[in-house]
Amino acid sequence: MKVELDKAFKIAAPASAAWQFLQQIEAVAACMPGAEITEQIDAHNYKGKVKSRIGPATMAFDGAIEIKGIDPEKRELRLRGSGQDTKGTSSASMDLTAWVVDGAEAGCELKGQAEVSVNGKVASLGGRMMNQVADQILNQFGKNFADNVLAAGSDEQAAKAKAQLAAKPRELNALALAWSVLLGLLKRLFKKGD
Amino acid sequence: MVVAEEQLKRLDSLKGIGCKRKRKEDPRFVQGRGNYVDDIKLKGMLHADMVRSPYAHARIKGINKEKALALPGVHAVLSAVDLEPLKLHWMPTLAGDVQAVLADKKVHFQYQEVAVVIADNRYIAADAVELVQVEYEELPPLVDAHQALAEDAPVPREDLLDKMEGAHGPRKHANHIFRWEAGERERTDRAFAAAEVTVKQDMYYPRVHPSPLETCGCVASFDKANEHLTVYLTSQAPHVVRTVVSMLSGLPESKIRIVSPDIGGGFGNKVGVYPGYVTAIVASIVLGRPVKWVEDRMENLSTTAFARDYHMTGELAADKDGRIKGLRAYVLADHGAFDACADPSKFPAGLFHICTGSYDIPTAHVEVDGVYTNKAPGGVAYRCSFRVTEAVYLIERMMDVLAQKLDMDKAEIRLRNFIKPGQFPYQTCLGWEIDSGSYAEGLNKALAAVDYPALRREQVEKRAQGELMGIGIVTFTEIVGAGPSRNCDILGVGMFDSAEIRVHPTGSVIARMGTITQGQGHETTYAQIIATELGLPSDQIQIEEGDTDTAPYGLGTYGSRSTPVAGAAIAMAARKIRAKASRIAAHLLEVSEADLEWDIDGFKVKGVPGAVKTMKEIAWAAYNNVPEGMEPGLESVNYYDPPNFTYPSGAYVCVVDIDRHTGATRVRRFYALDDCGTRINPMIIEGQIHGGLNEGFAVAMGQELPYDESGNLLGNTFMDYFIPTFVETPRWETDETVTPSPHHPLGAKGVGESAHVGSIPCFTAAIVDAFAHLGVTHMDMPHNACRVWKQIDALGLNKPA
Repeated sequence: MKVELDKAFKIAAPASAAWQFLQQIEAVAACMPGAEITEQIDAHNYKGKVKSRIGPATMAFDGAIEIKGIDPEKRELRLRGSGQDTKGTSSASMDLTAWVVDGAEAGCELKGQAEVSVNGKVASLGGRMMNQVADQILNQFGKNFADNVLAAGSDEQAAKAKAQLAAKPRELNALALAWSVLLGLLKRLFKKGD
Repeated sequence: MVVAEEQLKRLDSLKGIGCKRKRKEDPRFVQGRGNYVDDIKLKGMLHADMVRSPYAHARIKGINKEKALALPGVHAVLSAVDLEPLKLHWMPTLAGDVQAVLADKKVHFQYQEVAVVIADNRYIAADAVELVQVEYEELPPLVDAHQALAEDAPVPREDLLDKMEGAHGPRKHANHIFRWEAGERERTDRAFAAAEVTVKQDMYYPRVHPSPLETCGCVASFDKANEHLTVYLTSQAPHVVRTVVSMLSGLPESKIRIVSPDIGGGFGNKVGVYPGYVTAIVASIVLGRPVKWVEDRMENLSTTAFARDYHMTGELAADKDGRIKGLRAYVLADHGAFDACADPSKFPAGLFHICTGSYDIPTAHVEVDGVYTNKAPGGVAYRCSFRVTEAVYLIERMMDVLAQKLDMDKAEIRLRNFIKPGQFPYQTCLGWEIDSGSYAEGLNKALAAVDYPALRREQVEKRAQGELMGIGIVTFTEIVGAGPSRNCDILGVGMFDSAEIRVHPTGSVIARMGTITQGQGHETTYAQIIATELGLPSDQIQIEEGDTDTAPYGLGTYGSRSTPVAGAAIAMAARKIRAKASRIAAHLLEVSEADLEWDIDGFKVKGVPGAVKTMKEIAWAAYNNVPEGMEPGLESVNYYDPPNFTYPSGAYVCVVDIDRHTGATRVRRFYALDDCGTRINPMIIEGQIHGGLNEGFAVAMGQELPYDESGNLLGNTFMDYFIPTFVETPRWETDETVTPSPHHPLGAKGVGESAHVGSIPCFTAAIVDAFAHLGVTHMDMPHNACRVWKQIDALGLNKPA
């Protein structure tokens, strides 16, 4: 089961700051809810974990991240993450291209294109929700990413971002996720009527 | 009149053929006193659970069992390498192919068995399954059957790469299983070339799966001291399983006892031999302890025998008046990763060539290509190995497509093409001999019952108002009772069946058959056959099936074969007993046998009132006063090899109303007229038909097992897989005509699957008919609201006028 996602996040910081942060793979991975890098193998390869709780099930994926390319001119990062859940029932992979563009009023935008593919029980059981769930995970990621970029500063905005980062959930929270999925659905439903 | 009343009373007391006798099985079932496989608990019993593949197609790079084996309570973790020394890592299928018991170096479908864990209990086993680490290397999967024969298609079955001669002839591609054809190609091509009208329609009969309340399972118990293996098994064919287990294990059949206890629904899901059975047996032999394996619901829907997955193209040639001149059918059959069907060896597409239906069709040609894909194996369920359901769907859809092309009424086109009563026994152009049928009588009765002209008038009015109403008509002919051993065998064993009857001195009876009931009510109906044949009350007749140590060899219960084959064996065995009883009666009454006449429950001397010996009296005499030279006792065995199949038929009408905004369909009316010949227990027949209609409704309106492009199965939980409850299920109206089979000892034809086979095309016909005036000729199942809405949306019917 595959889904393709296109996302853009506005960041109230210069593009150079965002690009700087984007190259710190371990820090970027930590922006993904429930994810962490556990080991750096070489310049391009890392080992990591993603843990999420969906309903009664906790799924923990052990996987590898490979940096496919870093292009400073385009301010673009390409990576592939893939892994199997520790119970051997499911697997997932993601090909991601992320880049930073200049935005309006001194800000910038982080853009991302991803193809996510899941196999096994998680596809059988969660396939129908996958689009929405992946969308919400990326939204949290975007928010964390922006906060991290802002937190590097020293102004009032940075302090607020730091506080938000400190409060962020350590893993994907099922209830919060379900709520945001529901909100997302409702928003789309009503948008149609506009 | 007094005599007649007295006779009626005696007849009633037998509760024989034709009696709406209550099911003898029900008291124990409704009290929770059934004895199913999972109820069996043996001393020291261990439990098995499976490690399954998350991928549809992948190489196994390694299996690490250490962590699982370290878990307290785990006794063994077996994978293909452990079974290889025993040559049990692969097993033969019933279709002449081989199947991996545990994945050998690669996995062929998602949820395939990779390793089995044996532990003290099911919980520990399930925990240990999660600790077995399997390293996979993903391979591109083959999911779309239409891509299977492409040059660059992924090849699931690398083990067959140098075996281009399959069990059913040459294979033309690594993913090809067989090509099978029937009929005359050239003659049919000529009929099409000369025809005034031709029609062609593609249709897909989706992959579905039965959902018996009880999933598949077994308890295997090997007694090392006596080298005796007992297996309690959810099997529709215990004797065949014993033969297969003997061939696999090398144990003589006399040292193997297979017991099918109460079975909670079969529907073809419980015909095959599954990896779970084999591994439980191996584990029991290796560990010397009983081992239980019972699959859960997801495992059942994902791995054990599915049904259908037939991509069909039908073509009809006809004249302007709608008289059919020829039929062509092409099928691409998706068999999944292993050919694990249970069809007769000669017929890899089962009895698909019954696809000329109830119609007098002068020539036809049918071709079927079977292909491998990365999907679960085992097209057995729902008559699937016999492919009658698919055949009926094809011809009934094509009749409607032709009617629409000619702008002819869908009932009228059937009436014009029916085989007429004077034509029976009718030789079809594809080689069957249809024994009997009353097709026009059945359809006319159905049309009158629903007031068909009024329905069509209502439909015209509704269409004028922009509303969607559809009327579906199906007039099917089935082929059941497999089968004559000249046509049918499984693993070389002819598809006969058997009965053994023993009459005890006091007139009570025990009888055993080679079939096995799974809800059909054999304990009730078989006793009724014996009651009528022997004149002994059915309440004192005990029926036992399913234990290979005691029952005579038979091929089991599937394909509506119990009454046509075992039912005939029962009648023939009973008639042997009655022949002996007649000689005993003559001896007791001191007359010649020629002076005797059968009278309901005994023999009387013609013309001598009061000179009577009842069967009860004869039974007693059989054990103490037989004619000189006669063996004492009163029992017999019969193995019945049917001279022909039987051909039940029916006329169904379905009326639907479709909401043009939501696509939701309401089945307003469903009328089912069945002709199964002699009716042994009308109440049980009605129950079977209700059940079959419910199944048909589920399949047509909601069930499917879809796979995504990576080979992930997306419909294997009851969240997705449609199980109709009483909330969704329509009300059923049933009716009958009775046209006995001329070659069956009782005239009975079998009914178990008629309603499933006949109703599914009828639902499709009704849905399509609702759109027929807009040029729609076919819509693929399932007809859920979403799919129906898409048709509505494509036609713009939901937009304001």
